[in-house]
Amino acid sequence: MIRNLSFEVKIQHNLKKCFYYDDGNKLLLSPTSNQVFSWKTAPFSPNAAPNIDSITEGPICSIRFSLDEKLIAVQRSNTSIIFFHRETGETFTHRCKSESESILGFFWTDCPSCDIVVVKTSGLDLYAYDHASKSLALVETKKMTVSWYVYTHESRLVLLASGMQCKTFHGFQLSSVGIIRLPKFEMVMAKPEANSKPVLASEDVYIVTVYGRIYCLQVDRVAMVLHSYRFYRDAIIQQGSLPIYSHKVAVSVVDNVLLVHQVDAKVIILYDIFSDSRAPISAPLPVLFRGFPRSDSFTSRPGTKESESLEASDSNDNEAIIYGEGWTFLVPDLICDVANMRLWKIHLDLEAISASSSEVPSVLEFLQRRKLEANKAKQLCLAITRTMILERRPINMVAKSMDVLVTSYALSLKAGSYFKGIKTERTSSSVPNVSGPGQGVDVNTGRTDGLGKSVQHESASRVNSVSVSRPSNYLSSETEDSSSFEPLKISSNDAQFDSGKVDTGAESSATGNPLNASVSEQQESQLTSPAISPDEMYRFVFAPAEEEMIGEPSYLVSIILEFFRSANLEKVKVHPNLYVLTVQLLARSEQYAELGLCVINKIIEPSKEVALQLLESGRQNFQIRKLGSDMLRQVSLHQDYVLLLVQDGYYLEALRYARKHKVTTIRPSLFLEAAMTSNDSQHLAAVLRFFSDFIPGFHSTSDFSTYYHILNEMNSSSVVA
Amino acid sequence: MLEYSFSKPNSSRSPSLVTEDLRSFISKIYTVYSTNSASFMGLSSIGTASDGMQLCIFDLRRGQHEGQELDKILYFFPADLPFSTQLSVIGLSEGLITFTRIFSPEAACEVIEAERHSHVFYEAEPDIWMVMIVEKSKDSEAIWRIDALREVLKEIHSLFVMFHGSIRALLEREPGGGLTRAHLYPFIMDYLRACQKRSPLDKCCCGNAEVAVSDGLIWIYFLVGKKLQLPSFRDCLMERRSVQMLTVGREAAIEVQTLVRILESSAGNLPCFSLILFQDLLVSTTLSPEDTINLYKYAVLRLTPLALSSGAKSWSYLRKGNSSSHVSIGSTLLSTGSVSEQFYGSHDASPAGDNRYHVTRPLQHDKWFKGKDGFLITDIWGGDIGSLNVTTPTVWLHQTEERMYLCAYQYKSLTIILLIPLSSILNGDQGVSILKQQLLENASLKILKVEEKLSKGWGGENAYHVSGYRYLLVDGNRDISRASPPTKVTTLSKESLLALNRLREEVDAEKSRAKWDNPGREKDLEVCIRAKNNAWAVARITGGKELYMVLEKANETLLYASDAVEKFSNRYCSGTFSLD
Repeated sequence: MIRNLSFEVKIQHNLKKCFYYDDGNKLLLSPTSNQVFSWKTAPFSPNAAPNIDSITEGPICSIRFSLDEKLIAVQRSNTSIIFFHRETGETFTHRCKSESESILGFFWTDCPSCDIVVVKTSGLDLYAYDHASKSLALVETKKMTVSWYVYTHESRLVLLASGMQCKTFHGFQLSSVGIIRLPKFEMVMAKPEANSKPVLASEDVYIVTVYGRIYCLQVDRVAMVLHSYRFYRDAIIQQGSLPIYSHKVAVSVVDNVLLVHQVDAKVIILYDIFSDSRAPISAPLPVLFRGFPRSDSFTSRPGTKESESLEASDSNDNEAIIYGEGWTFLVPDLICDVANMRLWKIHLDLEAISASSSEVPSVLEFLQRRKLEANKAKQLCLAITRTMILERRPINMVAKSMDVLVTSYALSLKAGSYFKGIKTERTSSSVPNVSGPGQGVDVNTGRTDGLGKSVQHESASRVNSVSVSRPSNYLSSETEDSSSFEPLKISSNDAQFDSGKVDTGAESSATGNPLNASVSEQQESQLTSPAISPDEMYRFVFAPAEEEMIGEPSYLVSIILEFFRSANLEKVKVHPNLYVLTVQLLARSEQYAELGLCVINKIIEPSKEVALQLLESGRQNFQIRKLGSDMLRQVSLHQDYVLLLVQDGYYLEALRYARKHKVTTIRPSLFLEAAMTSNDSQHLAAVLRFFSDFIPGFHSTSDFSTYYHILNEMNSSSVVA
Repeated sequence: MLEYSFSKPNSSRSPSLVTEDLRSFISKIYTVYSTNSASFMGLSSIGTASDGMQLCIFDLRRGQHEGQELDKILYFFPADLPFSTQLSVIGLSEGLITFTRIFSPEAACEVIEAERHSHVFYEAEPDIWMVMIVEKSKDSEAIWRIDALREVLKEIHSLFVMFHGSIRALLEREPGGGLTRAHLYPFIMDYLRACQKRSPLDKCCCGNAEVAVSDGLIWIYFLVGKKLQLPSFRDCLMERRSVQMLTVGREAAIEVQTLVRILESSAGNLPCFSLILFQDLLVSTTLSPEDTINLYKYAVLRLTPLALSSGAKSWSYLRKGNSSSHVSIGSTLLSTGSVSEQFYGSHDASPAGDNRYHVTRPLQHDKWFKGKDGFLITDIWGGDIGSLNVTTPTVWLHQTEERMYLCAYQYKSLTIILLIPLSSILNGDQGVSILKQQLLENASLKILKVEEKLSKGWGGENAYHVSGYRYLLVDGNRDISRASPPTKVTTLSKESLLALNRLREEVDAEKSRAKWDNPGREKDLEVCIRAKNNAWAVARITGGKELYMVLEKANETLLYASDAVEKFSNRYCSGTFSLD
């Protein structure tokens, strides 16, 4: 499910409903006859006040701020662009030289050689802005016929369409490292009839950036598919097609997830184009408004989301019609509702998405790639894994899931992103340890952490909560939830408009319970990877699962083995406690043969914890105890090993071992007593002699005299006997 | 009252003097009894027609009345001896047991050494005794270790129990004893034949094995002939009742264990067990040590790729000779036409001679085949191999005291044995085939992977050879052993092997003494002896683990030999035997 956090742009009624999006600076621009209102959309903040700049009156074809935001460029017609200096108010105009060509548009660039690129029907003109002369200097011209173009600042890629059907493309990437000319390529278009040749429109071509790769998506209305092309430096390769189910589609990208809006059907199909799979992540999902300052009845229970949100919108003067006429999709993840003058930001409801698919491994894979709400994704992964085990899903499936989680962890270790987040994560994860496993881990954290902070940041909390979605604690109550969806409204201070009703609602809910929101915001911002460490796997998955699955350890052992397998493949170290748990489980189900193999083949890696557990579990089985004592020796826990030998009555062996490994910390009386209880005067004499020889001054200790006396008694009694 | 016929080597006495003779010999036993391994110089063995070995099984609770003596005989080899001779052998054994029990009710005699024979005793079940009598011939090869012989008896019995249940239970089922005899005779014959063939150390046997495979008759000749191969001193670097394991890396081990889990989970929630072998080496088991040893032995004898391929060669011969295995003993024996079996048939009074009992012969040679689906099939338990409609084999587990279906699957070098309780599958063979199907669905991929991993890590036949050393490592705690490959052991000189054999006998005696003196405690022991050829034979025992070693090139000093052992221990036994 998608959540749109709204960002209301309420402007005076007399303003024209005219919006431009400057993706270079992530600004939403609304020019009036002599002013430009600009709102920052990143960070997405509802209360952001617009900046207002004055410009001269005139028609506006397009408008963009320079990347340093010092200049405002306004295309007045297909022949001229006018530039305003924001500070000085100076202006200058740039005109087409030739009458035969017209300006299609322009964009600012951070390319080292030029500052602004003007796209004309005859090709590209690259200009450098000369600060001194306040004029543009032509740097380079790329000649070609252009019917229309698409550009996104995110990809720095401009695609120029030409040809009868507008399906022949030239491409340039104008990045800070220079200009790359892409090879010419053709897009595929199905023909409706033999002779008709459909013409490709600019609205049907999208440039999307996913996982740092650049794709182009092209709508083929005849074939009803979305073709995808991937751009390489030297090639453009068609990547296959996605089906579409609506004549009107739009494309967004949120957190590297590709969202294909099936506008007619009012649903979104999500794709995670990470691997070669072209299968949607989940079933088509509806859009739901969140963060509407409406009423407390606005809940977020999955399943009811759609109906309630629709109902809500009905009661509110058509304020928000999903996929209404006025919706404009802005790259990558914004929707501008021109009719209602609102800007929506698309959020993924990870919980709902994961709930809508039963393919657990792929869901986990999906969640592990999410960066925006890493903590939430992580908590979801933990919950899903735990549930999967408790539901005793087939081992193969769980094995795949383990692979996903461990691989992701290993990757994040390599990339260093795991430790970036770990510091803040530590503080929060220490709390659930106290509260016991299996409980609402984050609820606790959220509250404790939140209380202090909310006081300090009460005013700020409203701002914070904006980009925050529902907090990650799925266990928290509904009421908390609803309150955490704050009204995400911006009111521009200068422009007065009626927002009374809405505002109050916002206010009350903001002061009412902003805790979760602010806290999870902080956590999420710090946790950059949803990767789960083996330690966390133990504490939040295996240990709770073990508690709940008491009596049937066999399945859990299988799962743990699968985890070992994954961890071994990725060379990830497993928490010793998990080994201990494995020993416990195997011993409990009396699978001693298997336990033996696991220890001997080092599937269970030797450690002191494991050795002690083996000794403990070995009370019922001599062989297992033996493995434990062998392990003590193996991991060089000499003192423990010697103690064990003495306890088991092998005091002579213990002495020999102690001598060899220089264990001096054990009291002689332990050995002497063991020798005495064996009732063998020779042995007792030997032990006494040992200590007399190797411990200086042993003769004068009370131990010596006591046992010397005992030895004499033993000898005399044996003589008598 | 039975008659004992004793004869002293240098004097011949009439049978009427038997009672007196017995008395004198009993007094001799008394004097030397404390060692548990008495040597009776004055007693010669029973004069029988058969040279070589005699093996008998008898029940002390049976045939205690005059005229019913035959009842107590459950098995006798060679079966063509007159009953009077058989009875005299058993009578002597019975006398010894009864007598020695006076002094040691818990454990009667273990061995009697006579001048020309050794009598090895083993009480397989309460009052059911197995006795092996071996001739000490002048043949210099006929030197053995008594404990190794007893291991043979133990193995015969435990394998028998695995397939047919305890002898006592069989006797209770049919008090006449016919059923028991009908089971024991073919079983032990099959066993002796099987072991002979698979004893790689036996040069004589190996040399003729090929011949034997291609021609059953020649093979059988060996068996009845006096050259029956018993574990000799040449086998002193192996341990019969133990399992040889494949050493695997952690990664492969994890794969194996996850496979085990998948295998056992494909049987649903039924409690089942599995055993995985790679080549002839054990990789994984979930069975108790006792059951593991038995099934491992059976797998190596009959199921592993090596066992199957040796069978395949003679397949055509057997098809001709024996069309159906599941027939009563008499007809099987006749139809195979082998000499050894004919004498059972021709033996009028032999209990196995009639057709009343349907007996499965699980140790029968060449009866297992690999089916198209990878599962191993056999018609030993009934059915027709041609139509693939065969009865699933069953075994009896010592640990759970339950009958289990045995499903064996083979992929390349990997042999997987799955054991499912009879009680948990309701519709018999049909249920088993459903289970097999599930197994294939769930585990095929994993099996492929595991086989690949193990093959990659497999160092070949000589993987466990350590140059310069000839060794045997026994982990008594877990019944595992590892030894130098047989081909390497054969390079040792006879003197070295004899020395080690002698050493092992010493150690056996020491161990058994320690067991009596101090039950439950492990004794550490170190013995080094120098052979005539200046080789060192070394034994080190610590914490239930044993290391035997022959060092032929360490002929300098004891220090040098001890150093070599230390190195070996540190390198290959994680320092277990490095005492100081």
